Amino acid sequence: MRLRNAAFRRSSALRHFYAAGVMGVFLRMRGDLFRGILLWACRACTTPAVLCHFNILTSSAGTCPNKPAVGQMGEATHCPREPLAGAGMLWEALRALLPNTKEELKLDLSEKVERSVVMLLQEATELFYEGRGDECLQRSEVILDYSWEKLNTGTWRDVDKDWRQVYAFSCLLKALCLCKAPGDAATMATALRVCDMGLLMGATILGDILHKVAVILQTHLSRKRPAHSSTQEQPSTKKAKNDPSLIPDLTLERTVPRLHCPSLQHFKKHFLVPQRPVILEGVADHWPCMKKWSLEYIQEVAGCRTVPVEVGSRYTDEEWSQTLMTISEFISKYIVNEPEDVGYLAQHQLFDQIPELKEDISIPDYCCLGNGEEDEITINAWFGPRGTVSPLHQDPQQNFLAQVIGRKYIRLYSPQESEALYPHDTHLLHNTSQVDVENPDMEKFPKFTDAPFLSCILSPGEILFIPVKYWHYVRALDLSFSVSFWWS
Amino acid sequence: MAGERPGAWFGFGFCGFGQAPGSGHVRPVCSPKPLQAGADTCRVSASWSYTAVVTRGGRVELSGSTIGAEGSCRDVWAQEGLLVVLREGPGPGSGALLQAWAPGSALRGEPLWVQKMEVEGEDKAACEAQAGMLPLLPGACSYVSRKPPFYRTLAPELLARRLELGAEHALLLGWAGQVFSWGGGRHGQLGHGSLEAEPEPRLLEALQGLPMAEVAAGGWHSVCVSETGDVYVWGWNESGQLALPTRSLAEDRAPAAVEATGLNKDESEVKRAAVGEDGAPAPFISIQPFPALLDLPLGSDAAKASCGSRHTAVVTRTGELYTWGWGKYGQLGHKDTTSLDRPCRVEYFMDKQLQVKAVTCGPWNTYVYAVEKADC
Repeated sequence: MRLRNAAFRRSSALRHFYAAGVMGVFLRMRGDLFRGILLWACRACTTPAVLCHFNILTSSAGTCPNKPAVGQMGEATHCPREPLAGAGMLWEALRALLPNTKEELKLDLSEKVERSVVMLLQEATELFYEGRGDECLQRSEVILDYSWEKLNTGTWRDVDKDWRQVYAFSCLLKALCLCKAPGDAATMATALRVCDMGLLMGATILGDILHKVAVILQTHLSRKRPAHSSTQEQPSTKKAKNDPSLIPDLTLERTVPRLHCPSLQHFKKHFLVPQRPVILEGVADHWPCMKKWSLEYIQEVAGCRTVPVEVGSRYTDEEWSQTLMTISEFISKYIVNEPEDVGYLAQHQLFDQIPELKEDISIPDYCCLGNGEEDEITINAWFGPRGTVSPLHQDPQQNFLAQVIGRKYIRLYSPQESEALYPHDTHLLHNTSQVDVENPDMEKFPKFTDAPFLSCILSPGEILFIPVKYWHYVRALDLSFSVSFWWS
Repeated sequence: MAGERPGAWFGFGFCGFGQAPGSGHVRPVCSPKPLQAGADTCRVSASWSYTAVVTRGGRVELSGSTIGAEGSCRDVWAQEGLLVVLREGPGPGSGALLQAWAPGSALRGEPLWVQKMEVEGEDKAACEAQAGMLPLLPGACSYVSRKPPFYRTLAPELLARRLELGAEHALLLGWAGQVFSWGGGRHGQLGHGSLEAEPEPRLLEALQGLPMAEVAAGGWHSVCVSETGDVYVWGWNESGQLALPTRSLAEDRAPAAVEATGLNKDESEVKRAAVGEDGAPAPFISIQPFPALLDLPLGSDAAKASCGSRHTAVVTRTGELYTWGWGKYGQLGHKDTTSLDRPCRVEYFMDKQLQVKAVTCGPWNTYVYAVEKADC
């Protein structure tokens, strides 16, 4: 894939191309291709996907100033509009989380945060304690927008933690102000969405207060929500997708070896040290998630929480993009109800956001063979319909991929085969292959067809060990939920 | 400036710290409002929380999160972390003095640092002509940055005429009309067709052969105006600041208002953005990594451009002002807080029979210089 077009150097051609609409096509390819590239770069660099895709992150957490704050983003379909009987109780519960005086509701910020912002934070906090909710909300919105811009400046790594704290704080104040007046459930849902934005992009503040606020809001919301009709529906099964030819015939491929509950020593000696993939059976099959998790359960526990979703089956799709929505919306739009597009809740640290789900999984014991601490292990959720694809790429850490719901077809190539996999030559994408694994362009990528690989169909209860830098390609054969553990 | 019709400065957008034209109020100003200092102002530089204006008499006046005024100033560059002032030299014939202040100091006490500008044997007029060039410094071989190192040099071969700094990138316009860009590129703001960063100024090859008259840098987007009046845009389009269709605005509009819909073979509706030039539905563009030509309504020719953090303002040769992009704080001047992904004229100036001559944007607001229309 070439990132430059020689024809483009001729200036007069520029106007000509545009007028002819050719440029329009060119723009279309490039504009969206680059958005896609950005995603896959992040896939490979293990930065949480949402944090790299600033184009989708609306600064006001979904509220549009010239629209009423209620009834947005389809939340109204789930949350009734009548005022909550328990609104007073909600406010009491939230207020109880906060310190008594405004002096205590403070962040410890460095000089990197400008004096003007500090002033505005103080002002907003004072207004909050004085009960002037509307004025506090207005200022919180300003701080939120400003800190959001800081979060989008430079690479995510370079973003100062202080700015993430400021962002989280402004989300907190905004969410609280929204809950102050006895509003309807839609306002509460918006407040919860704001909390989720603060959790997704902000840093932990004030004893992880955003989590606590989110839990309270979630509890109050689930009391009010009527039973979902969608919980009765089965995942959509379009005729075309039942085509058996889409399920690879593994008898023609070399498969990943399988072991039943190997000892730590055995695993280390035969697979971790020599860096060989293996499927571990009998290790995860008793995790609570294997019995408990279903569409109904996930909706119940996390339906109103906001998560990042990738839309479009591959990054080369024109319509590929990333967006935010609640889990209920995701299930409704991309899993049941005959979805128009492929949507994938991918590479998201869901278990940090919703600790209740974390209780249903365990960290594989084999992770202790690594050098890192347990709290340094990154746990990601991968939840989507049949047909989601992660193009061939490599990660800089060891990976245990645990399958919970549905099956995934996975192909693995050794790092030694890297040349035959034609990684992109840009810095951004050097750990992503250019090849479409199940439909390779054999003229462009001649060495690919002969490159040896291992493959498998990973089923619920199984864990696949993917050694560090091992190239992997994943396609979901069914509605699927996987949990990955990145460790060193 | 003899013989010119009387003009005045107007402002609109974010005034959350009481800066002009908010005059103490916190609510956004959504329609152009005359600045109080108006008639005497010759330059405006706006940061997020305060605005600095330079009067013809050489006085700089600050409003917003910092309030104050000082004399003997030629030029000012207002940033959140730094207030840079170009002051008259201490004696006749001596070079200007570059001072960097903490904004909170309101120019009282001591500056953070001072740099004497060399007078290179040229006449004072040439030096004065370079006022209004900040962050480019007199001599055009150096510039001020908002992050350390604050003083940075430029290769003389670049023949720098104008320099603009975005949140993570820099744009330079040379005297031959070439455009250079460097810095971070993750949002396509460098215009070289990739998302890679560039450590050193790199020529925009896509614009070779098209001499540019103006460049403007927003937070993450870039705009330039050619000598023939064409506008080119590139970079991030998340709020429509490139006047290209953006998904976030399409989703905010009611589904029924989506401008063009097609039908798939099975007659399911296809939600698309407005129809493109060739009649095919135009897709959403969030990042435009190389320059795209933008047509202003009515085939107008552009004269000047300025960018805020996420919005764009262009002045046409006939004195009209077009704005687009992020509008949440009224910075587009269309009497509301809607964001737009297409150029819209600011009707205020038409209604008041004013001809717009210049525009300069702060991060979340816009300042406009306009004169009364001549009687025909």
